[in-house]
Amino acid sequence: MDGALKLWSIVAIVGVLNYLSRLSFIAIFARRHVPALLARAFRYVPAAMLTALVLPMVVATPGEPVSASAPKIAAAILAAAVAFFTRSTLKTLATGMLALWALQFAARAIG
Amino acid sequence: MRLASNPDFRAGFAEMLPATLALAPFGLVCGVGAQAAGASLAGAIGLSAIVFSGAAQILAVQLLAAGAPLAVIVLTCFVAGLRFLIYSAAMAPYLRPLPPRWQKGLAFLLTDQAFAAAVRRFDAGGDARAAGAHFMGGGFALWSFWQVTNVAGYFAGNLIPAAWSLEFAVPLCFIALVAPHFRTSPTIVAALVAGAGVLALAWLPMKLNLIVAGVAGIVAGTLADFAKERWTAR
Repeated sequence: MDGALKLWSIVAIVGVLNYLSRLSFIAIFARRHVPALLARAFRYVPAAMLTALVLPMVVATPGEPVSASAPKIAAAILAAAVAFFTRSTLKTLATGMLALWALQFAARAIG
Repeated sequence: MRLASNPDFRAGFAEMLPATLALAPFGLVCGVGAQAAGASLAGAIGLSAIVFSGAAQILAVQLLAAGAPLAVIVLTCFVAGLRFLIYSAAMAPYLRPLPPRWQKGLAFLLTDQAFAAAVRRFDAGGDARAAGAHFMGGGFALWSFWQVTNVAGYFAGNLIPAAWSLEFAVPLCFIALVAPHFRTSPTIVAALVAGAGVLALAWLPMKLNLIVAGVAGIVAGTLADFAKERWTAR
């Protein structure tokens, strides 16, 4: 498939699917009752999906040296603690980036 | 435009500015990714303006660069966007008093950050229209700054030094969203199963580990919820 056509197909299909997901219960199912099992499963979607999204970005993929992921893992844990207590995106981002830079600097100074 | 002079719209816009600042590195990374995947400028803007979801955009450009088939890219982006169903279900009661035209417009602006801010504003009470205008202002701030940072990343991506590790801002934005959830045991079970699964199945091609581990985590969380309910009912 032609690269540009493929990209625009993604824009169109994912754009429509994303919008329908966002609109779903606000407009489409607004008058219908959510089945109890589904409502219960819904509660765990953010925790499961966001964790599955985040971990591969933090933990090294096989073949990558541990030294590359260790500072990222430590910075991510610190950022998660800040997020847990403050619920602030800006504070989480600032803590995580500063911690990563400090740890990377320390790793270079030592090694 | 009447909306621009609406005080609630303006307040929503202004209150969202710190969050737009926090999302700036994420937007830059998305723009860099689109450029690296060989997207045209129009295609990159199409992604950020229409798909308007950082997670879906990152996954789409990475899978596109890896040569994954269209069906896999679409399915992965859809599963990563399943959380919008939850946000939609949670927003529905708040938006019910608003006209359908407003509901359809606000749904487009429903993102992780807009959702968090909207729940706080609607819970504060008052007129639903005022809260709706506030949501519209915040959503518009997020959408417009998202376009600016994506385009900036598209053009300036290779000027950003690799030593800054800017791409680490992406997991941090999601950590900010997910960590506050870890307050009940079924939620922690869901995250542990999804996290262990995504790492154990990293050998699967085309990021299929994301879908499998995510669904496994949702099932595990639901089962843990039932188990907890039985335990406390005793």
